[in-house]
Amino acid sequence: MQRRSNAYHISILAVLIAIIIIQNVVPFFGYIPLPGLSITTIHITVIIAAVVLGPKDGALVGGIWGLITWIRAFIAPTSPLAPLVFTNPLISVVPRILIGVGAGYLFIWFQRHQRPTLGLTLAGVVGALINTILVMGLIGLLYSHQAAGFYQVDISKLMPYLLTIIASNGIPEAALAGILTPLIGTALLRFKH
Amino acid sequence: MMSKLIFGRYIPGDSLIHRMDPRAKLLLSFYFIGIIFIANNWQTYALLFAFTLAAITLSGVKWSFFINGVKPLIWLILFTVILQILFSASGGKVYWHWGIITISQLGLVNGVYIFCRFVLIIFMSTLLTLTTPPLELSDAIEYILMPLKAVHFPVYEVALMLSIALRFVPTLMDETEKIMNAQRARGVDFGEGNLFQQMRAIVPLLIPLFVSSFNRAEDLATAMEARGYQGGEGRSKFRILKWHARDAWVTLGFAVLTAALVFLRA
Repeated sequence: MQRRSNAYHISILAVLIAIIIIQNVVPFFGYIPLPGLSITTIHITVIIAAVVLGPKDGALVGGIWGLITWIRAFIAPTSPLAPLVFTNPLISVVPRILIGVGAGYLFIWFQRHQRPTLGLTLAGVVGALINTILVMGLIGLLYSHQAAGFYQVDISKLMPYLLTIIASNGIPEAALAGILTPLIGTALLRFKH
Repeated sequence: MMSKLIFGRYIPGDSLIHRMDPRAKLLLSFYFIGIIFIANNWQTYALLFAFTLAAITLSGVKWSFFINGVKPLIWLILFTVILQILFSASGGKVYWHWGIITISQLGLVNGVYIFCRFVLIIFMSTLLTLTTPPLELSDAIEYILMPLKAVHFPVYEVALMLSIALRFVPTLMDETEKIMNAQRARGVDFGEGNLFQQMRAIVPLLIPLFVSSFNRAEDLATAMEARGYQGGEGRSKFRILKWHARDAWVTLGFAVLTAALVFLRA
């Protein structure tokens, strides 16, 4: 168990990437379909990766999630939102990388101050909020002046609706991550080297 | 539920497209998505459709696979088309106007084009995944990422991760199904109740899966080390990619298509 070999590092990240690929397609496992909303649980995988394996690996797993979102926005979009905003890699990839970075460093700080459970909860909430706030912020920043996105829909006219949709997804996602990260995290921290 | 996964479903065959180099197929598929944006009138879209249909016929894969690829997305595509019609920058004759909603001639025409664009992209990407085994795709990605080695990006490691991940998707999928059924047998209802109850139902799904995945990764690492794995640098390959004349010809075909599009566009 005290191994920190390159082979272990590669295989654990590979398994986490496989989980993310599965979460993209299996309902209740990767997302909760609700009327009008679709709450994702994939960010929890990223946060768990960041907490157990460290911020750098969290960033890698988050980046893979972002890449999958980006590619799917073209070929198999998951929500009406995806073809409008996630076709821009800046919006689909960058916030997801930063989930891992933010959650990872936050947990390290709290662990150093002997409050690991509080750290897990906050890493979950903050990780989820980083994603929501950055996606909203980047949409606002990139599309408030420039009208057309990938599909030429005038996003600036739709902006208030878009931001409402993302915020109403983001709050339950943050709550979910805040509850689930300590539950899953404490079970997995024994794998931390 | 699990069988609906269209990603990575490979239909074995021996057509020109099956035998092409995966690097060529991957890059040309991306290139195709790029040149779709050159098209801006019905002639260019007709040409793109003819090209895509020719490629599908060449591959010898059944039509139904492509139609089934579009089917689950049809409502989403129509929703985007309607958004486009109602909110696009207006031009031409205006038929109806109310508040921020405008239906104009240009909006309607653009809506049709966007529908075509969606269908073309889905057909082409389905063709790529149906004719290329996932492992060949990850080999191709490794080659394409090679330039990133200059900035010390761990190309070999990431490519190996991707191959292992693709290998483990079906295994973990079975495991997920097993865990879901085990929890159902204990009385957990998936997809029922309010948001809070649904969130609670996820906990007994994720914990066993994560724990078993971490254990599996440790076993895999032991197996890799027992076989003498020590880093990616200088590893030899079992599947060696070769660039054949046919790949050059297909690339030339795409160049001709691009020239024709530029010539025909309005």
